[in-house]
Amino acid sequence: MEENEDVPKDFIKLKSEKLSVDEVSELVVSPYCGAVSLFIGTTRNNFEGKKVIHLEYEAYTSMAETEIKKICRDVRQKWPSVKHIAVHHRLGVVPITEASVIIAVSSPHRAESLEAVMYCINTLKASVPIWKKEIYEDEYSWKENKECFWANSEK
Amino acid sequence: MGSGSGLGGGRRVSVLYFARSAELAGLRCETLSVPREITSLQLWEEIVKVHPRLALIRDQVVFAVRQEYVLLGDQLLVLQPGDEVAIIPPISGG
Repeated sequence: MEENEDVPKDFIKLKSEKLSVDEVSELVVSPYCGAVSLFIGTTRNNFEGKKVIHLEYEAYTSMAETEIKKICRDVRQKWPSVKHIAVHHRLGVVPITEASVIIAVSSPHRAESLEAVMYCINTLKASVPIWKKEIYEDEYSWKENKECFWANSEK
Repeated sequence: MGSGSGLGGGRRVSVLYFARSAELAGLRCETLSVPREITSLQLWEEIVKVHPRLALIRDQVVFAVRQEYVLLGDQLLVLQPGDEVAIIPPISGG
């Protein structure tokens, strides 16, 4: 056991290629864990009756990675038994139905990884500097997460 | 674009624009000369002088200064040459 403790690791990647659920879930598998919990955010084909053609993501990449690292740090404080955390976010054009974000967390038992995955996606939506543009047939709009506290403020 | 804003004794900082702010400013990054000590709201006003269209989103942005979020307000920023200041419209990752 001593020679292979499977030290907890964070895997963070922002990339313009298609995301792979298999790749992300395999990153967090551990012989010490009985649970891998996954969240997959996918792109919808409609918004308020408008047909969405595709989506485009951009990021403040260096800061986004830093903010995701902070989320991982928080997760380890809240759920110390969590083993590995993987967060992959896609950038650039994302066709409808493809994944824009995949989060995987492993833990010895399921409760911690399930709670941690929900915390990761909720906090990512509130604090990580990434932007989504929805492209419709003849217009587009920049989306705003309801978790973003400076959106829609109309002070 | 990319020249100083003409303030004496200033610091040349990198200003980054994202999403709607990049569209309104018409560019993604530039170097601006700004006072060494300035409140975040004054910094916003300096940037709006250079890109007046950004005034449209005054109530919907925050800054990231050296990659830390800063609200537009009275907070005093002490800027060093080369510091990164980003305009952050409402985020929509995920």
